Amino acid sequence: MEFGLTDEQRQIREEITRFAENEIVPVAEEHDVEESYPHDVVDAAAEMGLTGAYIPMEYGGAGYSILDTAIITEELFAYDPGIALCIVSTSFGCEAIMNFGTDDQKERFLEPVALGEKISGAAISEPDTGSDVSSVSTRAEKDGDEWVINGNKMWITNGTVGDFFVVLCETNPDAEGRYNGFSQIVVESDRDGFSAEKITGKLGIRASDTAELVFDDVRVPEENLIGTKDAAFMQQMQFFDETRTAVAAQGVGIAKGATRAALEYAQDREQFGQSISEFQAIQHKLAEMATNTEAARNLTYKSAWNVDQGEDITKLASMAKEYASRIAVDVADEAVQIHGGAGYVNDFPVERFYRDAKITQIYEGTSEIQKNIIAREMLGKGF
Amino acid sequence: MKILVTVSEVATVEDAFEIDGTTIADQYLGADLNEWDDYAVEEAVQLQEADLADEVVTVTIGPEDADQTIRQALAKGADRALRVWDDDLADVGLLDPGTKADLLAAVVDDEQPDLVLSGVQTGDDSFGATGVALADRVGYQWAAVVNHLEHEFADDTASVRRELEGGVEELTDVDLPAVLTIQTGINEPRYASLRGIRQAQRKPLEVQTLDDLGIEGVDSALALTEMYEPESETDVTVWEGGADDTAGDLASLLREKGVAQ
Ligand SMILES: Cc1cc2nc3c(=O)[nH]c(=O)nc-3n(C[C@H](O)[C@H](O)[C@H](O)COP(=O)(O)OP(=O)(O)OC[C@H]3O[C@@H](n4cnc5c(N)ncnc54)[C@H](O)[C@@H]3O)c2cc1C
Repeated sequence: MEFGLTDEQRQIREEITRFAENEIVPVAEEHDVEESYPHDVVDAAAEMGLTGAYIPMEYGGAGYSILDTAIITEELFAYDPGIALCIVSTSFGCEAIMNFGTDDQKERFLEPVALGEKISGAAISEPDTGSDVSSVSTRAEKDGDEWVINGNKMWITNGTVGDFFVVLCETNPDAEGRYNGFSQIVVESDRDGFSAEKITGKLGIRASDTAELVFDDVRVPEENLIGTKDAAFMQQMQFFDETRTAVAAQGVGIAKGATRAALEYAQDREQFGQSISEFQAIQHKLAEMATNTEAARNLTYKSAWNVDQGEDITKLASMAKEYASRIAVDVADEAVQIHGGAGYVNDFPVERFYRDAKITQIYEGTSEIQKNIIAREMLGKGF
Repeated sequence: MKILVTVSEVATVEDAFEIDGTTIADQYLGADLNEWDDYAVEEAVQLQEADLADEVVTVTIGPEDADQTIRQALAKGADRALRVWDDDLADVGLLDPGTKADLLAAVVDDEQPDLVLSGVQTGDDSFGATGVALADRVGYQWAAVVNHLEHEFADDTASVRRELEGGVEELTDVDLPAVLTIQTGINEPRYASLRGIRQAQRKPLEVQTLDDLGIEGVDSALALTEMYEPESETDVTVWEGGADDTAGDLASLLREKGVAQ
């Protein structure tokens, strides 16, 4: 059993630190306040290859493992979760293309994402479809050699900045079983009948773009269907381990960043004639924050490592996602507490961490859903 | 054209630290690629990307711990790395620039580069002498504090712009082979890409001992005798009023201090 990072992984971490301190930290507050997408930072990140880290080398990516990707995600989120999400989400949806796409689809879609020329998105949720994904109602009907798509998708990351979306559609309403009859179809944002409206007023990760997508008789060629028709759920399920581990890594990063900020502030701030870090109450908070972060990190790395070994780890990935997101919220809360009044305004990054942390308990399956999955696996029930 | 870039790992220190004798305690220290060398590596890699250089080799004097730092240069595009180290060097302690130049000269003899790029100075010891001392040892032409290099080497000459005292700059041509000491700001160093970091793990990093270089014993003319934090003084002048009234005062103060002319 090995717990250490390789030289290469350490080097990645150091280079990301340099990148984040120079390119992300100086503009983080501005993009949060203005709810603006950080195009310049994403371009710089693309140049460094951060936008398609897990895409194979042959398609222009860096071919990094899920564990490597988790380390990258953690490091970026420790500086600013909003901008970090913009960077890591540029390839959302691409895991389906990578695993089930034809060579032609990989060339068409993966390569431009890896090179930073295009941004993708995954469109699953709908106004009436959240936790219960099997209720998807966006419809794709075949007309000659084209798919005609109608419906609405809600809360879609990169909605107004994305170049294409992997859209979960119902392709066979008569299929038996509630998880059959759905397909993943790529829809480019420049197709007629596609529109996206930005959702503003978010609590956190405000630099990230979130939108509602409307498909009004959007026509795409049949070659845009990924993998097997009607089998999207079986396909999608294979990435849950991957995508949940990735959100767990986001949580670890947020906890790490909030702890770092709190530790620094505690040593600077003086009350009653001494540094507040001399008070045992503050010391205990810091100790718990660091310990919980480390526990979340170990769960996350274990989950990532197992995905890389090709193991099916539904329960472990859900545990990592649920636990790390909870720790992110708790640690950010304590970090604000340690800052006192100064933590309540955006002069310090902890105010942002506090707001940003919450999303990790909501997207990619809420905490309640993760616990349902863990219990279901424990009880030996199928899905 | 073959380019040799001399790179060093420098000590970085936290804002608050404690001095213990002639060292700073480990917990306050980090290590990084010397800032000036980062620009030198970038310049070399750009020359390679412009098809003006065929090979970029880096050389470092330092212990195994420095490998991580050397790989940064490989990740940014250098082709291979050499690291000179020997137990004898560890015993010497603080190496003077002349001794470093001797070691690097042996590498230049082996490698026969057309162009050697070094940083103007290191961020920790700040001697600012190694590059030019090396040029002297190997009999190359040199230009110090170069802040622009033409990416064209007509008639085997390098056209450079150098920074002189008092904001004056000089344009000059240097015959190859030459050593140029590179100033920060000459270019914009890139971040190592993820692909670059991956590829760097497989690029050759060769260690050379004093024996390998044909050097017998080294000692240094320098010894570190004391380390202390200098007293810092701040001297602030504040003028009340708008720019129209105060700009003249500011200008004469800057002239008086020698900052502006
Ligand atoms: C900023 C942001 C970005 C997003 N990005 C994307 C994206 O890129 N692509 C995408 O497809 N979606 C995205 N989403 C949507 C996200 O995945 C959903 O919001 C999430 O799955 C929850 O669905 P819902 O909002 O409909 O909540 P609901 O499903 O309505 O849940 C409401 C509450 O009920 C609970 N609940 C529901 N069912 C159960 C149950 N069986 N047992 C116990 N409790 C239950 C939930 O846990 C929750 O507490 C994003 C959301 C946000 C806010």
